Amino acid sequence: MSETKNMIVNMGPQHPATHGVLRVVLELDGETVVRAIPHLGHLHRGLEKLAETKTYHQALTLTDRMDYTGALINNLGYCLAVEKLLGIEDQIPERATVLRVCLAELQRIAGHLLWLGTHALDIGAMTVLFYAFRERETIIDMLEDVTGARLTPSFVRIGGLAADAPPVFFEKARAFVKELPSRVDEYELLLTKNKIWRNRTEGIGIISQEECIQYSITGPVLRAAGVKWDLRKVQPYCGYETYDFEVPTGTVGDVYERYLVRLAEMRQSIRIVEQALDRMPDGPVMADVPEITPPPKETVYEDIGCLIRHFKLMSGGFKAPEGDVYMSVEATKGELGYYLVSDGSEKPYRFRVRPPCFINLQALEEMIKGRMVADVIAVIGSLDIVLGEIDR
Amino acid sequence: MINVTIDGVRVEVPKGATILEAAQEAGIRIPTLCYLKKLSPIGSCRMCVVEVEGCTKPVTACDTPAGDGMVVTTDSEELREMRRDVLRLLLVRHPLDCPVCDKGGECDLQDLVYEFGVTAESYRTEPFERDVPRYVSPFIRQWPDRCVLCGRCVRACKEVKGVGCIQIVDNGFYSYIGPVPGVECISCGECLSVCPVGALTDSVHPTKARIWQAERVPTTCGYCGVGCQLELNVLNGEVIRVTTTDFDRAPNFGSLCVKGRFGWEFVNHPDRLEKPLVRKDGELKEATWDEALGLVARKLQEIKDEHGADAVGGLSSARCTNEENYLFQKFMRAVIGTNNVDHCARL
Ligand code: SF4
Ligand code: SF4
Ligand code: SF4
Ligand code: FES
Repeated sequence: MSETKNMIVNMGPQHPATHGVLRVVLELDGETVVRAIPHLGHLHRGLEKLAETKTYHQALTLTDRMDYTGALINNLGYCLAVEKLLGIEDQIPERATVLRVCLAELQRIAGHLLWLGTHALDIGAMTVLFYAFRERETIIDMLEDVTGARLTPSFVRIGGLAADAPPVFFEKARAFVKELPSRVDEYELLLTKNKIWRNRTEGIGIISQEECIQYSITGPVLRAAGVKWDLRKVQPYCGYETYDFEVPTGTVGDVYERYLVRLAEMRQSIRIVEQALDRMPDGPVMADVPEITPPPKETVYEDIGCLIRHFKLMSGGFKAPEGDVYMSVEATKGELGYYLVSDGSEKPYRFRVRPPCFINLQALEEMIKGRMVADVIAVIGSLDIVLGEIDR
Repeated sequence: MINVTIDGVRVEVPKGATILEAAQEAGIRIPTLCYLKKLSPIGSCRMCVVEVEGCTKPVTACDTPAGDGMVVTTDSEELREMRRDVLRLLLVRHPLDCPVCDKGGECDLQDLVYEFGVTAESYRTEPFERDVPRYVSPFIRQWPDRCVLCGRCVRACKEVKGVGCIQIVDNGFYSYIGPVPGVECISCGECLSVCPVGALTDSVHPTKARIWQAERVPTTCGYCGVGCQLELNVLNGEVIRVTTTDFDRAPNFGSLCVKGRFGWEFVNHPDRLEKPLVRKDGELKEATWDEALGLVARKLQEIKDEHGADAVGGLSSARCTNEENYLFQKFMRAVIGTNNVDHCARL
């Protein structure tokens, strides 16, 4: 009998299917995975530390650069945290809140579409990418109409939004919510009953409810395992409790069900966007708290008092009261939390992010131990990770 | 000593102290604008209004003496509204200059407006005609439309420098700071250092920097033996300005003379002598220290041998440290052997 030896293979950091610069060290027995250890840090930019050198307002732009497929939701979570720290949650104008919900849900759909296209591509179903990116592009265009940027808008601001949405956005959004459900049907047509797709995803990368909870897994991965846990329902913010939508869940928690859950979530997000558009109230999109929020830009060109307020806020920033705060939102990937500690100065003393991708990734080995190498790709894809957020 | 109660805090202060001083003693801040400790209070801005029990109207804290048993309130909605009104009136014709104003970021007016959340919209007026005036000193540029007429500059010039070459000219809405005919300015920059806003700015160096950009290095003025404390404003390794912001620091309490405040350009000057030069064939050439010092020693020896030690004299400088001056006189007396040694401060 000849002796066999396990082989160590580096998957990544330059691998198209690791969705960024992730390196997974695989120990293989033939084609079977014995161990899979993610090595992180290739994209580490010291974002949290960097944020501590910025004023609260400046630190916002750093949040875009974590999960850049869901930048608006990152902005939102951060602003909600700072608003909670300052105790101005009640002063956010209604229109700003409804627009925040509307933009966040569109961003969620865009994030899921990006995931769908690339995940299918990873497993060999190339066509889906073109379909998914077509709709994603429509959303990105709409977001660009509103925020001026495609990926890193820094648009949600402490106290509201940077600006109001232009009329064209509402027209486009209306048309889009009508169109998307039939588009989702199309994706389903391509994949849901597709034999190859099901062979590649069903029964793969299973993780049980208990294990999910032990690993603190959140988001669609958790829900696919059958846990009905969505912060928009269980810890509502921005008035999510007043919207009518469901939390889709699975039962076994395999790659296939994660796919089904995300598709169903897109349909729910559309319902939320529709309701938000229906109820869109008139009014300002920025709170008027002189020591914290900037005055309307037009007034800065006319009124020295407003110019001074703008100058002071933009150059020095406001001081936050001493204390700490934790605030989390349901991002596209799971619970995105911000823990901020204030020492009473203009800059956060501590800026800590609870990253959904980082935590979800920890269960990778659990999911693929004993499976084939090719399944690693399917499982990583189904986790929907973004390294910008994992490494920060 | 008298007893005063400020916002419920009882303090004991010497007779003659103002309400503001009593509040400072009690650790209570009263917003001020025209007040400056080293100047006589004139109560011109009315930011410091406080309520005194038994008085029908609020009084200014900076120039009202505290009385025995006085009960003072420094903060109430009414007082805050009065202060806001003071600020609104100051902003009536204030230019939209903060982004280009040298004072932006360290301006008392900005701080107060931000603190009280004031906008100017309540009152409007025609903007002030901006003609670039010639101020009394070429080192200082005046921006009359930014002036809040607090009178600090006028008082500083008269009371601290004893010059009195500027005054408030004209009256009412048209007042501005102008020269006193026949009195010459000594360009000391005292007025510049006390101006709470950007109405007087330093015009020596073309490069400007916001307070958070330039490093402020506290140091001692090298010009004379007084040892005035000042801050060198350093941007990218270059001195761009001298400021004095600590009015409590001895020996100069924020005051400087023209040399200390404006005479620092030599620091970065390209003509500044940094290496020893030795004249060879009628031309100055760069040399090593050994070479240059060797030459000096040789020549001194020659002079001494030929004409005696008293043919040599030494003149030292107030810009050296005590230790250096000590060594210098020691060198003249013990090495050269002469008592011909003097110092620039005696000239
Ligand atoms: S003096 Fe102060 S308020 Fe006026 S323009 Fe300059 S920085 Fe702004
Ligand atoms: S520079 Fe000195 S002398 Fe001249 S006006 Fe100012 S304070 Fe007076
Ligand atoms: S120039 Fe400056 S110090 Fe003088 S009155 Fe005007 S604001 Fe006050
Ligand atoms: S500080 Fe008292 S009146 Fe100006």
